Amino acid sequence: MATETEGGCQDSADKHIVVSGKLIDELEGLCEEDVFGCYQCGTCAAGCPFMDEMDLTVDEVLRYVILDKKEVLESKTIWLCASCFACAERCPRDINITKIMEALRQIVLRQNIDETDLECLTDEEKRSIPQMAFVSLFRKNIG
Amino acid sequence: MELLYYPGCTLKTSAVNLEESAFAVAEALGHSMIEMEEWNCCGVSASLTEDDLMHHLAPLRNLVHAEDQGMDRIVTLCDMCSNTLKQTDYRVREREDDLKTLNDFMDQENDYRMTVSVQHFLEFLRDDVGWKTLKKKVVNPLKGVRIMPYYGCMLLRPREVAIDDAEEPRIMADLIKALGAEVVDNPYKIECCGSYKTIEEKEMTSRRAKTISTYAVERDADLIMLSCPLCKYNIDQRGKEAELLFDGYSQIPVMYYTQLLAIALGLEGDWGFGAHAVDPTPLLEEKGVLPISEGST
Amino acid sequence: MSDPVGAVLVVGGGIGGIQSALDLADAGFKVYMVEDKPAIGGAMAQLDKTFPTNDCSLCILSPKLVDVGRHPNIELMTNSSVTAIDGKAGDFTVKITERARRVTEACVGCNLCAEACVLKGRLRNEFDEELKERSAIYIPYPQAVPLRYVVDPVNCLQVKTGKCAMKCVEACPANAIDFDMQDIERTVEVGSIVMAPGFEGFHAEAKGEYGYGRFDNVVTSLEFERILSASGPYEGHVLRPSDGKEPKRIAWINCVGSRDRSCGNEYCSSVCCTYSIKEAIIAKEHSGSVEPTIFYMDMRTHGKGFESYLNRAEDQHGIRFIRSRISEVQETPGKDLRIRYESEEGALREETFDMVVLSIGLEPGEGVKDLAETAGISLDDFGFCETEETRPMETDVPGVFVCGAFSGPKDIPETVMEASGAAAKAGAMISSGRGTLVEEREFVPERDVSGEEPRIGVYVCHCGINIGAYVDVPAVVEYARGLPNVVHAEENIYSCSQDAQHTLIDRIKEHGLNRVLVASCTPRTHEPLFQETLREAGLNAHLFEMANIRDQCSWVHMDDKATATEKAQDLVRMSVARAAHIEPLEELSLDVIQHGLVIGGGLAGMTAALALADQGFGVSLVEQEDALGGNMRNIHYTLDNDNVQEYLGSLVDRIGESDIIDVHLNAKVSEIGGFVGNFESVIDTPDGPERVEHGAIIVATGAVESAPAEYLFGEDERVISQTELERRIAEGEPVGRTVAMIQCVGSRDESHTYCSRVCCSDAIKNAIRIKETDPSAQVYILYRDMRTYGLKESHYGRARELGVVFVRFDLDGKPAVDTDGDALTVKVKEKILGEELFIEADIVALAPAIEPRPDRVDLAKMLKVPLNEDGFFLEAHVKLRPVDFATDGVFLAGMAHSPKTMEESIAQAYAAAARASTLLAKGEVRVNPAIADITEEMCIGCGLCVTNCPFKAMELVLKEGGRKAQVIPASCKGCGVCGASCPKLAITMKHFTNEEITAQIEAYRGVA
Repeated sequence: MATETEGGCQDSADKHIVVSGKLIDELEGLCEEDVFGCYQCGTCAAGCPFMDEMDLTVDEVLRYVILDKKEVLESKTIWLCASCFACAERCPRDINITKIMEALRQIVLRQNIDETDLECLTDEEKRSIPQMAFVSLFRKNIG
Repeated sequence: MELLYYPGCTLKTSAVNLEESAFAVAEALGHSMIEMEEWNCCGVSASLTEDDLMHHLAPLRNLVHAEDQGMDRIVTLCDMCSNTLKQTDYRVREREDDLKTLNDFMDQENDYRMTVSVQHFLEFLRDDVGWKTLKKKVVNPLKGVRIMPYYGCMLLRPREVAIDDAEEPRIMADLIKALGAEVVDNPYKIECCGSYKTIEEKEMTSRRAKTISTYAVERDADLIMLSCPLCKYNIDQRGKEAELLFDGYSQIPVMYYTQLLAIALGLEGDWGFGAHAVDPTPLLEEKGVLPISEGST
Repeated sequence: MSDPVGAVLVVGGGIGGIQSALDLADAGFKVYMVEDKPAIGGAMAQLDKTFPTNDCSLCILSPKLVDVGRHPNIELMTNSSVTAIDGKAGDFTVKITERARRVTEACVGCNLCAEACVLKGRLRNEFDEELKERSAIYIPYPQAVPLRYVVDPVNCLQVKTGKCAMKCVEACPANAIDFDMQDIERTVEVGSIVMAPGFEGFHAEAKGEYGYGRFDNVVTSLEFERILSASGPYEGHVLRPSDGKEPKRIAWINCVGSRDRSCGNEYCSSVCCTYSIKEAIIAKEHSGSVEPTIFYMDMRTHGKGFESYLNRAEDQHGIRFIRSRISEVQETPGKDLRIRYESEEGALREETFDMVVLSIGLEPGEGVKDLAETAGISLDDFGFCETEETRPMETDVPGVFVCGAFSGPKDIPETVMEASGAAAKAGAMISSGRGTLVEEREFVPERDVSGEEPRIGVYVCHCGINIGAYVDVPAVVEYARGLPNVVHAEENIYSCSQDAQHTLIDRIKEHGLNRVLVASCTPRTHEPLFQETLREAGLNAHLFEMANIRDQCSWVHMDDKATATEKAQDLVRMSVARAAHIEPLEELSLDVIQHGLVIGGGLAGMTAALALADQGFGVSLVEQEDALGGNMRNIHYTLDNDNVQEYLGSLVDRIGESDIIDVHLNAKVSEIGGFVGNFESVIDTPDGPERVEHGAIIVATGAVESAPAEYLFGEDERVISQTELERRIAEGEPVGRTVAMIQCVGSRDESHTYCSRVCCSDAIKNAIRIKETDPSAQVYILYRDMRTYGLKESHYGRARELGVVFVRFDLDGKPAVDTDGDALTVKVKEKILGEELFIEADIVALAPAIEPRPDRVDLAKMLKVPLNEDGFFLEAHVKLRPVDFATDGVFLAGMAHSPKTMEESIAQAYAAAARASTLLAKGEVRVNPAIADITEEMCIGCGLCVTNCPFKAMELVLKEGGRKAQVIPASCKGCGVCGASCPKLAITMKHFTNEEITAQIEAYRGVA
């Protein structure tokens, strides 16, 4: 398993994610990707720039979905994903993993659980970090 | 020609130097960048869920604004804006039903008629100006400068909106050669810089910057050239911070391609090196592409 | 149809086309062979070695190349393409363009033109995957057939601009170059067509992430074959392109361009797993310090002998296997290659390699689309020829047949089987035209050498670097010159090449040679080749001697050139001594009984019987059960949803309707006597024993499903076999909501080391059926490697899409099936999660190993044929003779050979029938004259020879002087056991007489 991530200075808020029924059914409608088609070949994980930092590897995430293990929604991996599409481009099964990651995030976000906490930023940082980063962050991590 | 220019938020704030250098370059090449009369946030990041049309509204409105101005093309400088606008344009062309829904929803705006194309400034240089023409206009070739091109992900992925081959892009390498400089190829050029993770995962982003830059240094690159303001921040600023995390690590300078272009075209101006965490001035002076100013080391 | 044309068009000169052409030509049909490239040989000629025996590819191929080149019934058109096909089955009119070679048949292959060419070294040779240079006038490879150089019309200056000094013309000693040569348009009439255009390697540039084309040290597998090859760019030294250094760490990346939707090739290319193992083993052989690593997803070594090949690779050769698909290849400043991959434990690893080999897949070639259009045949989504499972060699155009990789990626033995099968079908369709367009081969009358002093010609072969690098060939030649009776000695680079044959014929005439010694490789593969050359020169074929200075010298003494040379000289001296004594021998020919015996009435047996009957030969079909069908009776549907029972019914009907097939049910063959062409067998039928005389035997006795000894099979009625599961599904019986399938039960382990090949597909077939009927059913497939090879791969994808859960396990982590109260549970370690998966199943379906028949040993003894280490029948040659036995006249088809699918059984059955009918059609069989020779006066009739003969080729006959031993010429193999056992030394072996052997031994001892 990949190493623990050094987070920002936020604490993981107590999440209470509720998923009744199967994960794969929750994903339907959010993304139309063939998650079960994954062969666990490892190409996505090998090409992910942040694999080192993740707790679950990318293909493990898909395996969790296939085996209906809802803990995947509590992994750090889905939030470390930067949606860079490297996995989707190289997947030999043509699975758009980026969309699956987004869908998993959305399951959490749509339960009104936000994954961001900006209190630890200094004013200087708030000024110098490009605005586009904030916009992206809000769009990605806030339900 | 007149280019309809879409700035996006960051070009007006942290990346002013990208905008200014691009404008100067465009002018020197005989074109003018005219900012759109009406524009809003591009809507980054592109919506990735099937059922989410709401997030396509912001980008769509920009396309409509372009049509309102009677133009069929938007040129952008920001990689993320380019990617987001293109993805929305692609989506509505692929699914006419979605376009209808969106058009219906936008009761204050005109309907989008799918007449606009989104072009990144790099594409403009390649397709409309051409490397040969560009080369001819270079008066101050960047001889002996070893430059590592860095694309990041927005320009090349997903496939539908890529401006070049996703595995073996050459647009930046061609540009570097046209400027008379040397290309230092590297496998990280198409890997993500960390993007918005820079806010909450500062150290992870620093590590990323270090990995990307170390490869360049191993191959004696002098600087890293890129096009996206967020990539620039991540590699430049976070890379500088990596110096505190890793003993002996030293971040090499990062520059926008437009700044390099401006210098190569012999244009006068302040290209905002003061806004860089690692000031490229000493390097450029050492390489002889910038005149040595007083008071510099 | 009205008299069909007794000729066949074979498109493609690879191993498939070659086999088809030879089978058809031998069976009495005229063959037009059209090959696009300037020489035949196809991809097989480019390979260095072939798996799993690691035979030298060209060594086993070149006799066939030469056979095609010199066969009187084959008209070979190379550098040619088919441009139009009109007409219909039985009467096609085909237009062929023979593109101008600009070199005439006068070419002797001397290479002087290429040396003189102004573009020498500036162009790249396609045969060597562009790793080697060539001139604008060239030959693709040294053993090319035809051995005629060709001008490259695209790059040649004279052709392009008309302004070249034409140094080639100046240099040519045979005046063979003609720049005025034009393309020739030919029209030929044929009765049927065999398509064998083969494949092209996947263009690896399309996978940019692997860096092919950008990084010097990333090569394709075909390029690596050329690198390994003695005639390749580095003369057989494994070097890496960037700096010519010897690479130590070499990585193979499997599935490049296969099993990959992102580049449009979802199918599996079938052969890459095994060929990557082969390349790794051979690379290590070339240089002991090589450390091979193979990156793969599933290890697909499902062919006969491949699983033990895999085990040897890991255990003996130290090849490292990593189950991971990499994302990209990166290049370091030193041009090494860095690969990042996810390990099996889920950790990120990075390793550096000196060289990377991409195992590229097999794709339909560029020109194949046009060819298909010309012929009007349908292609599938990937561009392969569409065929049906029950008719694997047929296209959808009657009269046009297909074989080899064109109908789906496959290996050489399967290609050869299909090729022979296609020949059978193509021939059967026009069988009344047999013999109408061919000429009897006329040989030059034999010169009578009796009374002549021996005049021996010695040819010492380099065999490229196989001999030449380890033995000082010129020194051996020099030595030979000084030996008694030697009047001529010379060296050849490749004695088996076509030009060497021409030279040999010339020299025989020039020097009045009456004995020929070739010191080269093994008579097993090459003796017939040289014997035929002698016949063409007017010498009796048996005035030929061969010294094996390759297998028995250079190959085993690679590290000591001086001693190896000495040994080669010893061997030559011995052979020269023997050659002086060898005598011409006359070949006998015997009539062939034109009737076939097929043992086994399953799919292969029925198909073979029908195929023979289609060709007009009577068949006795023997089946031990009370109905025909064998294992097929238990199969109901295929992956493609064919109705198997319907097909079975149709076969049985056709057999019933045939006048010339005698079916014996509840019968067993109890005795087989005689020899090729003249067998006499006894069939035990319910009505008593029946004698039958026949010329050929086809063994189609099949295989059986083993009974698992694990997983509670036989203890809990909910644990069943896949066969039983299939029956329940076919009959609509409920199979429960949760089905767990366990693969490799008894295969690939201590009980049976081999892979049973069909089980993965069967499991998926049934899983898909279950899910389609009830999408809410939970189906788990627990497997070790998923071997859905070839075009079956898309069904694997489909099973996944339907929601079947696949769980991988290793041999040391087998699942556990238990009962827990009323529940049936399956526990297995889920490797990705690292925790145990617990399944409560309604049914557990096992995939039992397929075993050879329990009575196989008796059967083998009766047939006088061998069994392999796994108990299946052993064919004559694993690659090129997959349906023949070493014993002549006996052929093999179906699962008696090895586990296979129905489609493959059908192909092999047709192939066996093709080989059998060639024999039967000829009407006579030539007997090898190197047999036992009895001096009757000395024989005391003790019978020891009869008892000891392994081939039942000796008998005691009452003659005037008493009981005397007599040899049955057609059964005698000349093994010599009788001669060695005779107490009176009354038996000598012709061509291995006591005199000859004594001379050899004394020459060894230095006593001249």
